Amino acid sequence: MILLTAILAGMASGLILARVQKRTWTFPPLSGVWLVIIGFLPQFIAFYLPATRPHIPNLWVSVGLLVSQVLLLLFCWLNRRLAGIWLLALGLVLNLLVIAANRGFMPISPQTASQLAPQEIVESIPFGSRVGYSKDILLMPAQTHLEWLSDRFLLPKGLPYQAAFSLGDVIIALGAFWFTASEGKPFRIAGKNIKEAECYRPRRINPPSL
Amino acid sequence: MKTQLFKLSVFVQKINRQHVQFAFALLALVLFVLGAGAPADSALGSR
Repeated sequence: MILLTAILAGMASGLILARVQKRTWTFPPLSGVWLVIIGFLPQFIAFYLPATRPHIPNLWVSVGLLVSQVLLLLFCWLNRRLAGIWLLALGLVLNLLVIAANRGFMPISPQTASQLAPQEIVESIPFGSRVGYSKDILLMPAQTHLEWLSDRFLLPKGLPYQAAFSLGDVIIALGAFWFTASEGKPFRIAGKNIKEAECYRPRRINPPSL
Repeated sequence: MKTQLFKLSVFVQKINRQHVQFAFALLALVLFVLGAGAPADSALGSR
């Protein structure tokens, strides 16, 4: 939800900026979209599809999650020239690192989890177990590898929607915002323009030697 | 019914290659952030 909000906010900012500059906003051109679709498929089956997610063993889910995120990283590499992609890739790498270091799931502490779900539900989940059908695993901070990369941040209290998120999620949200707001314009566009301008600079023609 | 079908056909005719590309790229970005991110929300216990 918070990540989708970043996309919407980026698109809205891009549209406003384009309107101010009196031009049309375009969605950044992406390569290797098929990689995202194939990469997301294991996650869709393991986390989102109610018919399949109860039947998949946790080991397969964790392996599927890691493979899925590696494919998404490959997608970032194919689109590395687009602005914002390197932020998306950085956030993904941080999440991938912490997930790989903690049995293939994103760690969340009981203290953080109790802010999202009733205390009795959190207490009923054994430490080291996956939380429902989510990507999270309940771990004490002392048992968590790379704890600073886990789901440890919370949205401000008082909001109707509550969520815990990681540093990687924050960077992914920033990347998604930047990517859509900037229309994925390459970093080197200014440099390219300079080079192109140099091509059109009138050359000094030496007079023919007689 | 006929009017609705006519409106639908007019709408479909307006869809061009750019619209399809936009929808496809937006879908890719949405799937990417859902796949790359791992936030936990209040449905944590119920899932």
